[in-house]
Order: sequence, then C-alpha cells, then structure tokens
Amino acid sequence: MYRYVSMKGIVLLFLSLVIFSCNKDETTIPSDNTFKFETPSYIPKPIYEFTNNPLTQNGFELGKLLFYDPILSSDSSISCASCHFQSHAFADQNLAFSKGVNNLIGKRNSPALFNLSWNSSFMWDGGINHIETMPLAPITNHLEMNENMMHVIEKLNRNKTYREKFKTTFKIDSINDQKLFYALAQFIGNLQSFSSKYDKVRQVKTLYSSEENNGYMLFKKHCQQCHTEPLFSNFEFANNGIDSIYADKGRYLITLDPNDEGKFKIPSLRNIALTFPYMHDGRFSTLEKVIEHYSENILQVPNLDTRLRKKIQLNAKEKQELQAFLNTLTDFEFIQNKIYNKP
Amino acid sequence: MNNKLYIAFIYAMVLMTSLNSCKKDPDNNNNNNNNSATFGSVKVEFEHLWAMSGAEFKLNDTLLHPMKNEKMFFTTFKYYVSNIKFKKSDGTWWSQPESYFLVDVSNPTSLILTVNNVPTATYTEMKYTLGVDSLRNVSGAQTGALSTTNNMFWSWNSGYIMIKAEGKSPNSSTGDFALHLGGFKGANNVVTEKSTNFGGATLNVNPSATPQIHMSANPAKLWHTIEGVTTKSKIMMPGADAKQAATDFYNSFNFEHLHP
Ligand code: HEC
Ligand code: HEC
Repeated sequence: MYRYVSMKGIVLLFLSLVIFSCNKDETTIPSDNTFKFETPSYIPKPIYEFTNNPLTQNGFELGKLLFYDPILSSDSSISCASCHFQSHAFADQNLAFSKGVNNLIGKRNSPALFNLSWNSSFMWDGGINHIETMPLAPITNHLEMNENMMHVIEKLNRNKTYREKFKTTFKIDSINDQKLFYALAQFIGNLQSFSSKYDKVRQVKTLYSSEENNGYMLFKKHCQQCHTEPLFSNFEFANNGIDSIYADKGRYLITLDPNDEGKFKIPSLRNIALTFPYMHDGRFSTLEKVIEHYSENILQVPNLDTRLRKKIQLNAKEKQELQAFLNTLTDFEFIQNKIYNKP
Repeated sequence: MNNKLYIAFIYAMVLMTSLNSCKKDPDNNNNNNNNSATFGSVKVEFEHLWAMSGAEFKLNDTLLHPMKNEKMFFTTFKYYVSNIKFKKSDGTWWSQPESYFLVDVSNPTSLILTVNNVPTATYTEMKYTLGVDSLRNVSGAQTGALSTTNNMFWSWNSGYIMIKAEGKSPNSSTGDFALHLGGFKGANNVVTEKSTNFGGATLNVNPSATPQIHMSANPAKLWHTIEGVTTKSKIMMPGADAKQAATDFYNSFNFEHLHP
C-alpha cells in the first residue's frame, strides 16, 4: 500500500489516527515521518502488503530491534543479524554455512535478505509460505537459535522495554507470537534494494559501459528466463545442473515429488557480488566459477531444467562481460542505508 | 487510479474505520441490527474412547492396540476442530466467527468447546471441520488456538499439524512414536468437514439454557490402515500416510447424545 500512499498518504493516515482514535493511549505519532518506502515505477506490486499488519514507524523500529537482539535465541548468543549482515546484503559474511547456538553449523547457505515482500515462498526449498511465519524456522531450529516460542514470548514479556514498545506499537498489554512476527515482518519486509547501477540505468540517471551493456545482452539471452528482471528471480524452482546425486534434495523435501529432486528456489541476482559463496550449499566461491558452471559444466541430469539443456558456451571475453553486468546489480546505498543499521 | 484519488480513497477508508472503532463492540458479529435478538451458548464435548473396548483413552497409561497388537503409551494427543456451524429449523446456517479449537487430552477444559453468542433458535444440524481450513494455513501469524506457541505449526514446511500423537512403545525400534499429521493441499489435504443431525433431536438455544452436544472419537483408528509403530514409528509431514491416518481417525467421530 505504501507504494501508492507515499509520504503524503502516510502523514494523512497518522493524522486521521490521531484525530479519530478513541483511546487516549493510541495517539503515539511516529517520531519521524521521513519513514517511507518508495519503489521505482518498473517494480511490480509486492505480494506482502502489510494488510493485516499495518506498517508504522514504531513497528519497523521494533522489528529492527528484535532482528538485532540475541534475546530470540535460547542462550542469548545469536541474533538474526549473526547470520544476516547488512554489509553483505543481509547474507552471512561469506561463509558457506553459518554458526548457530553452541557453535553448531547449519546445513544450507544463508541467503541475502532484501525485497522479501515480493517473494512467494521462503527458504531454498520454498517450504515457508508467508513472510510473517518465516522467523519461526530460525528461532526454533536447534542449529540456529534453538528456542521455543513459548519461552521467547515469556522472555519478551519479562522485559520492560519490549513490553512498552509492543504496547505503543500494537496496543497490547501482553506480547504474543503474532505481534512478534508482525514486528519482524515490518522490518524484513521493508529491506528494499532498488538503488543499484542497474536501477540507475533504468531510471536514465547513468549509462552502462560497453562491457556492461554486452553483459546485459548475454544475461537477457541466457539467464533472464529464470533470474527475471526487475527482481532478478521469477521465484520458481529449478534444477540448474550442479549435481547428479543430491545430498540435499531441495524442493523434493517439501513436495515429495521425484521431479522436484535437486530443484531449488531461483535466487535473486541483485547484490550477487556481495553474497559469495554461491548456491544453496555455498559450493562456488566466486562468480567466475558460477559462470563457468553455466558455460561448461552443467550436468545433463533428468531433472535439469529444459531452459538449460542447450549448451551456453561463452568465450573468455563474454564471461567477463556477463560478470561486469552482474556487478551492476550491487546496491551500495542499501548496504549503507542507516535505517537498517543496528539500533 | 490517479494518485490523488487513491490517497483520498485511503484517507476516507481510514476515517471510516477510525470512526467505526468508536462504537461499542456489538455483542455478536452476526447480529443483523435486531436489538431484541437474544443469544445463548452451546457446549460441544469430545470424549475419547480406545478401540472397540470403548474404554476411556488416557495419556500416560499403557494401552494395547488390538489390531496391531502393539503397546502404546501416549504422552501427547491433540487435534484441531474448527468452523462450527449450526443449521436453524428454517434451513439457514449460523457460523461461529473465528472458530478454532485445539482439543488437547492433557488439558481437560479443552475437551469441551464453548460456542458463545449463538442466536436463540432451534437447530437441527451441526457442521464442524476436523483440522484447520486451508486459508489459515497460508495467512501468516495467527493467535489463540492457532498461535505457534501451541507447537502445532510446522516451521520448515508451513502448515498446521492438525493431529499430534506422541508417546512410547516397546514395539518401536526407537522406543517411541510420533504422528504429526496435516496437509491442506491437493491429494494430501486432510481437512475434513463433518456433520451431525443430533440423531434426529433438536438443539434449542436460548439465553437460559446451555445445551451440550456429546461427541466421541477413537484414537486407535489412527492405525486402522497404516502400518503400526513396529514398522513405522514416525510420520512427520503431509503425504499419503498422513492422509490415511487422519482420514481413519476422523471417520471415528460420532455423535453420542444431546443434553438439552
Ligand atoms: C544460524 C544462522 C541464522 C540465523 C540466526 C538466522 N538465519 Fe535466516 N537463514 C539462515 C539460513 C541458513 C537460511 C536458509 C535456510 C534454508 O533454505 O533452509 C535462512 C533463510 C532466511 C530467510 C529466507 C530468505 C529467502 O530468500 O528465502 C529469511 C527471510 C530469514 N532467514 C530471516 C531470518 C530472521 C528474521 C532471523 C531471526 C529471527 C534469522 N533469519 C536468523 C541462517 C540464519
Ligand atoms: C533454469 C533456470 C536458471 C537459469 C536459466 C539460470 N539460473 Fe542461475 N540459478 C538457478 C537456480 C535454481 C539457482 C540456485 C541453485 C542452487 O542453489 O542449488 C541459481 C543460482 C545462481 C547463482 C547463485 C546465487 C546465490 O545466491 O547463491 C548465480 C550467481 C546464478 N544462478 C547466475 C546465473 C547466470 C549468470 C545465469 C545465466 C548464464 C543463470 N544463473 C541462469 C536457476 C537458473
């Protein structure tokens, strides 16, 4: 909704809430009305629009506090930010697998977090169907935060600061899991990254170099069908021919359909230069290696996506060009944006 | 739509909702402006009987599964009932809003569902859903019976665990068993709507009486078709086994009697 409403709309919205709210406690105006998320015109409507969870400055700030707070883990050692770093577009710090409580090591590569409100499913296998229930997985996974929901809620309710913040934000006296998920969704659902060079070129604020432009042409020819502009994913599941035996069966674990073995959610390629190593298990350390895979090493397995069956075969110059284009997808403003910094 | 128009529209909507929120909560969501309408409550009680013996099903007690000849010692038995509806004698239906219940055998009060604000009338039929309707499985964070603090929502494969049966068994190679049954999509959808006409009796609801509908179910039916805990001690996700076990258990639900 905020896309259309913009600044003016939000101000009006808050004004009306102040004027017409019946409860005296409800008059908390967001301290800072610069709060807004404008999306470029070429970006489609998001899937998650905060319909049941109206976006407020307080809600966003509370979600941020929770995201950076290890209180959500069983021994208060791990926060969401322990595996999702802003400097890496909210992926881990270039580790194939992340560390959770008791130094236990996870089983998949921590994905970058941005533009999540456009995702139709979450996780490499797409097992999670809603951004609000997304945090349940890391909070309760024994390799990650190892907590149980009842206990997290108890801890939050014992904490005076959180009690007050939840009260101002959601008008509740006692914190519950729904409001915890709402707050986290207000933060992670607003990690917007649309200020890369690619975006500036689309907005005619700058131009590609000829190398980047050639790379863009190659991208459109070979990658676009899956890593579709402007979000750089079509959010489908595909097998991109990296394995013939599946240590991790991916989408199959959710659907139990043998045709889904070795399929994974197609990741966005925005900020890709920041988020090495690559693939669900972090097997490729560089973009060169990824491009080499698509050019020369695709395994012709039965579940290989039909769009990758024809050999791509790029020469050395083309490989460099493609990589130069992928580098234009890095959003430096996003990783430096102060509104996402640790509070 | 033009931006300004849109803003004006949103503004109007917000205005309306804020004004609306000043009204006192009406007693009932289904009250169609009829100030003289009265309401009553209905209780729906679930009793659990083990196998054909009809003995009371208890947690923390060794039970013998007669068909499988396996010993089972249950530590957990919970399931969802939702979307309760009553049919009036004039043929129209009344549906309880936000109708979600977690029946948990370890918590005796949860075995009696209280349906409040039922309009005064004579009812001839009840519909209820075993499981949680597909919409709530895909709608994000919920509260009450549907809260994740009940440990009845799969974290890694979104959806409600609609039946949870856990315990120990000397017949299982691991010494324990766990059935986490759910699934709300396609062939693996276990959500089942059931109905009863109270054996021909009528349910009379009014402010001065709380009729009680007595239902029974048989947890042993979980293993009516699927293999016993000797061969398969764990079912932890939607699929053919979960569908079969849930269907067999749901088929065991019976209307027993009605207390006026
Ligand atoms: C121990 C490391 C770790 C912690 C702590 C952690 N995550 Fe993650 N996160 C991961 C990994 C690994 C994945 C991918 C898991 C998979 O696909 O099975 C992931 C996936 C995600 C995704 C899905 C992204 C996508 O594109 O599908 C979101 C959203 C997310 N995490 C948010 C959070 C939030 C919010 C928290 C805190 C409540 C959190 N994470 C805590 C490691 C972590
Ligand atoms: C058939 C669809 C498809 C096509 C076409 C495709 N990819 Fe992919 N790509 C995927 C899938 C699926 C993954 C994730 C696989 C995994 O993690 O095991 C992926 C992963 C990647 C990754 C790693 C992302 C990360 O965050 O780890 C990069 C980089 C990448 N692709 C680049 C490309 C490039 C460049 C092209 C064109 C040459 C291309 N892809 C064409 C489906 C495709």
